[in-house]
Amino acid sequence: MASNEFVVPEQYEDLTPAPQVDKKTLNRMVWRSYWLQSSFNYETMQSGGWLFAMVPGLEKVHTNKKDLAASMYHNLDFINTHPFLVTFVMGIVLSLEQNKFDTQTIRSVRISAASPLGGIGDALFWLTLVPITAGITSNMAIDGNILAPFIFLIVFHAALFACRFGLMGWAYKLGTSAIDALTANMQAFTRAAAIMGCFVVGCLTVAMGGTQINLEIPNGSSRSIAATTVVVSNKEAKSYEDLEGIDTEKADAGTIAIADKDGKPLTAADADGNAVETGVKDLGNGLSSVTYGTVTESPVTFKVADTLNTVMPKLVPLCLVLLLYFLFSKKNFTPMMGIVLVLIIGIVGAFPLNEWFGISWWTGLW
Amino acid sequence: MEFNFVQVILVFIVTFIAAIDQFDFTESLYQPIVTGPIIGAILGDMNTGLVVGGTYQLMTIGNMPIGGAQPPNAVIGGILAAVFACSLGMEPTAATAAAIPFALLGQYGVTLFFTLRAPLMESFRDAAIKADTKRITVLTIISEVILGLIFAVIVTLFFVAGQGVGQAVVDAIPAWLNTGLSAAGGMMRFVGFAILLKIMMNRDMWAFFLLGFALTNIVAAIPDLSSPTLLIMALIGFGIAFWDFQQQTELKGAIADGGDMSDGI
Repeated sequence: MASNEFVVPEQYEDLTPAPQVDKKTLNRMVWRSYWLQSSFNYETMQSGGWLFAMVPGLEKVHTNKKDLAASMYHNLDFINTHPFLVTFVMGIVLSLEQNKFDTQTIRSVRISAASPLGGIGDALFWLTLVPITAGITSNMAIDGNILAPFIFLIVFHAALFACRFGLMGWAYKLGTSAIDALTANMQAFTRAAAIMGCFVVGCLTVAMGGTQINLEIPNGSSRSIAATTVVVSNKEAKSYEDLEGIDTEKADAGTIAIADKDGKPLTAADADGNAVETGVKDLGNGLSSVTYGTVTESPVTFKVADTLNTVMPKLVPLCLVLLLYFLFSKKNFTPMMGIVLVLIIGIVGAFPLNEWFGISWWTGLW
Repeated sequence: MEFNFVQVILVFIVTFIAAIDQFDFTESLYQPIVTGPIIGAILGDMNTGLVVGGTYQLMTIGNMPIGGAQPPNAVIGGILAAVFACSLGMEPTAATAAAIPFALLGQYGVTLFFTLRAPLMESFRDAAIKADTKRITVLTIISEVILGLIFAVIVTLFFVAGQGVGQAVVDAIPAWLNTGLSAAGGMMRFVGFAILLKIMMNRDMWAFFLLGFALTNIVAAIPDLSSPTLLIMALIGFGIAFWDFQQQTELKGAIADGGDMSDGI
């Protein structure tokens, strides 16, 4: 895995800004952006497809072969954005590449611009456009209207097409026009971009960190007495009164009683959780209202997640990110080693040790 | 019901295309409302396919691939629902329900596939280091073809083998392995995050990482804000970064101007 020790230089070798990228190349990039998720994976998510889409532009602006390699390499960073809005990020990043910004700045800007688009895109497309168009057209389909799928496809694609091409041109122009102001304050901009980038990664750790330790350790059981009130004939009520008094601390679960071992009424909880006293009340018409108690025993579990959440919600994702950061930056871990480590943690954490070795408190970490 | 060779091949091709399309290109051809009538036409009953497609589509509206979560797989589910309805004569709703175990199987499969595809990024990195843009294209195509083939083979097998098989396969996977793999899948993004941090982080930046972490915890805990969380956070982050940018540049300007602050009052 020697190849992974490739270090992206802080600056490109050729720092002369490249000429404006022509419309044809921009259009090629847009068409390629349709394959953004072609190599989707859980490590860097859309990075492979992102690079695939960026390649025509990168080839134009980086004539120096070493610069092209560096640029391609860092364009494989983790990225997760909305497939329908990605051209916006592409336009911005291309304008930075063209003007030979520091690689670190480009990386920070990319993750900062890409990440929030996910939520906007989901809201716009999956939660608005698709439910409305698919909702209407599926009802048409159920009625047997063959036009339904076509209407769905046409409306959906008209919206997407406009989005992809419009955003690409606009973002690229926006990026290139802002360049002069930014290059004048390069250092401050690099710093601001890194601030935003680190901030966004902190946000992603929470927003996309679903990992939680769901281990529940059995911790004895709690006893309580549940009250039940019934109306029965006086004769039957007598049989309740004759029930043996119980030792509330020791009686088996399921035992029915109306008094404790000293003959005093029990205090039990009714269905709403209110405390009531057990006993028999003669209703005067030959019937009695009997309130009796049932001893219940429910297992108590110690939920690790609850404890962790009182320390800090999303503590597990935070610790994992920090652990991996430590391994990557201080222990020369390669991305591949990180992935293998995560796989091992996942699978070992799920081992059913309770079934295999009879370790009863272990229910699996996840 | 017996299927002829041409039908099997056509179902294979449709699934191959739909499997790729579910994540790329049009991201809509795979929707059951489209695959339903196509499968119906292949099996000689387009109208039933259309109705099943519509029925399945309505069910999936609440199950969109939002925020990277994998819903029960609509490609496998939609296609097999149409197959069941057209070939076994099941009612559209029953066919939809019968297809659910297969859709779940597809969901597991996709999660597993996305986890196991991570090593492919090594090949991408190798190609990048050599500035080999052609190789990126080749890898992208290979990646897509593998995805399409896996889906097409699985669906075709179920198509030929029939309905009971889906449940049997779902039952055969040990629950713990499935849990472990999806947990690992959920954690893999942290590898990506950590690499990004390694690039951007220096001593000054830890506070901003933690600030983002803490503020997002607050916003994420408010149910009304859970959907636009990242946008809200990006605006806050932008505000902080912009403020810092102004501080840095004004400081520089102030020195150049001989200490005259810029507001001019």
